[in-house]
Amino acid sequence: MTQENLHVDTLVVGGGIAGMQSALDLADQGFRVALVEKEASIGGKMIALSKVFPTLDCCSCITTPKMSAVAHHENIDLLTYCEIGAIHENGGGFVADVTKKPRYVNEADCTGCRQCEYACPIDLPNAFDMDLGAMRAIRVPFSTAVPQKAVLDIENCILCGKCEQTCPVNCIDFTQQPEQFQIEADAIVLATGFGLTPTDAKKEYGAGQLLNVVDALTVERLLAPTGPYGHVLRPSDGKEPDSIAYVQCAGSRDTTLGVEYCSRVCCMYAIKQAMLLSGALPLADITIYYMDIRTFGKGYEQFYQNARAMGIEFVKGKVARITEDDDKNPVVRVELIDEGSQIVERAHDMIVLSVGMVPGYNPQAIYGVPIDASDGFIEIPSPNIAPTVTNHEGIFATGTAVSPMDIVDSIVMAGAAAAETAAYLQSRNGHSYKLPISGSMEMEVAHV
Amino acid sequence: MTKEDAKKRAIFLKNLRAQHEETVERTQTLLKEQKAIRRQICQPMRDGPKTIPELAQITGLPGNEILWHITAMKKYDLIVEAGMCAEYYLYQRPEGVK
Repeated sequence: MTQENLHVDTLVVGGGIAGMQSALDLADQGFRVALVEKEASIGGKMIALSKVFPTLDCCSCITTPKMSAVAHHENIDLLTYCEIGAIHENGGGFVADVTKKPRYVNEADCTGCRQCEYACPIDLPNAFDMDLGAMRAIRVPFSTAVPQKAVLDIENCILCGKCEQTCPVNCIDFTQQPEQFQIEADAIVLATGFGLTPTDAKKEYGAGQLLNVVDALTVERLLAPTGPYGHVLRPSDGKEPDSIAYVQCAGSRDTTLGVEYCSRVCCMYAIKQAMLLSGALPLADITIYYMDIRTFGKGYEQFYQNARAMGIEFVKGKVARITEDDDKNPVVRVELIDEGSQIVERAHDMIVLSVGMVPGYNPQAIYGVPIDASDGFIEIPSPNIAPTVTNHEGIFATGTAVSPMDIVDSIVMAGAAAAETAAYLQSRNGHSYKLPISGSMEMEVAHV
Repeated sequence: MTKEDAKKRAIFLKNLRAQHEETVERTQTLLKEQKAIRRQICQPMRDGPKTIPELAQITGLPGNEILWHITAMKKYDLIVEAGMCAEYYLYQRPEGVK
């Protein structure tokens, strides 16, 4: 089925929680929306998480209904596995050149039965499970993927044809080619998300070479019911860990990494994971090595106090180094600030680096939207007054593409971006709209 | 599928393989390696369920590599858990799978 050119009111770029929320809020107001996602499924990073803080609600239970709502909304055209190559300005609006990557599967016919996946002989590291688990060359991206359609990775396919033979609806199509099409839109919302500090960024912490030193997103997958092992096990030998330690600020507030800012979520996700690990492994000792704990949101401080009351050990001190003993147990060298600043070395079964949020995408080249020189996230001229309005008229930005923030803030900001975009679109129909920015408004960003 | 369709399909796949020669070669090598490793991992399980360290000791393969293959096979129902031995899970072939 060939993808036709589209004409919509708003193009939303990115199918994570912020992009989905903006798309839904605009579509609910009657605007036509095209949501473009580069991966084969929407859901972003949130769908890979286990639970949210501080309520400990299931992430999947929050995200999946939104994914489904986006897919079924009559005002939303969902375009997965598509990439935007260029944006042209067109009489106050925009035209996006989009490439639809071939799935080698007829989307209209695929039922997501996964019989092709079971027939495929090639196992590959599964990026959704942080490479701890496997996926096949042809697969449905993950169990709650939307759309629930298979995608074939031609770069790792042995071309044996077993998937084609097995498919009950004959939807495998090796002849598919990339398709080009255009989307005309009056406004654009950028919700391109964030990246993580690479675990190999810091050589003092093993530079990614220590098997039992993992990042927090890996632990999210270990804790998720659909995780790779089905249990919390350490990657070196499948041992159920008795002692787990968190190293805070392992990718934020660190000038050696060029990340001077606080990522805002690491303290809370570490506390959340520590609580969940206490539940999954009731006998395990959980330690959090921290510089200071930042619990800034509603109910967050109480959450932290609950974690302390549960017996999670909070140790004030910056970990200087992580090494490994003969049994592959990671060993931290840390100064215990509250115990006379003595320097000790402690072995744990597994160490979790609380890595920070870094910019995931630079929109300058395609969208002409500049990034903030100080942190690399999208520049917002008046963050206090118009936190979603970029330097480029008609282009709005939201979520972690703008700055590090948690899920609650991402959703709130996505609503704000939708409201701002709606006002802008109304103005194009003759209603008044005044950009809430003026050159003289220079205020400090109000981050609490 | 008719005989003629099957023939057409075989020719099409052959041409496709020629177009993606490098990928096919690489994935064939990968498949052979994976099969060899899985033979090593599954052989000791015929004597009963094994933990990752036990399999590592028998096969000489690194524990993390064995865990990855066990995880992959478990996902596609080729391995099942069989309880625990101390802090390690035991793995075995499911009934009816050799």
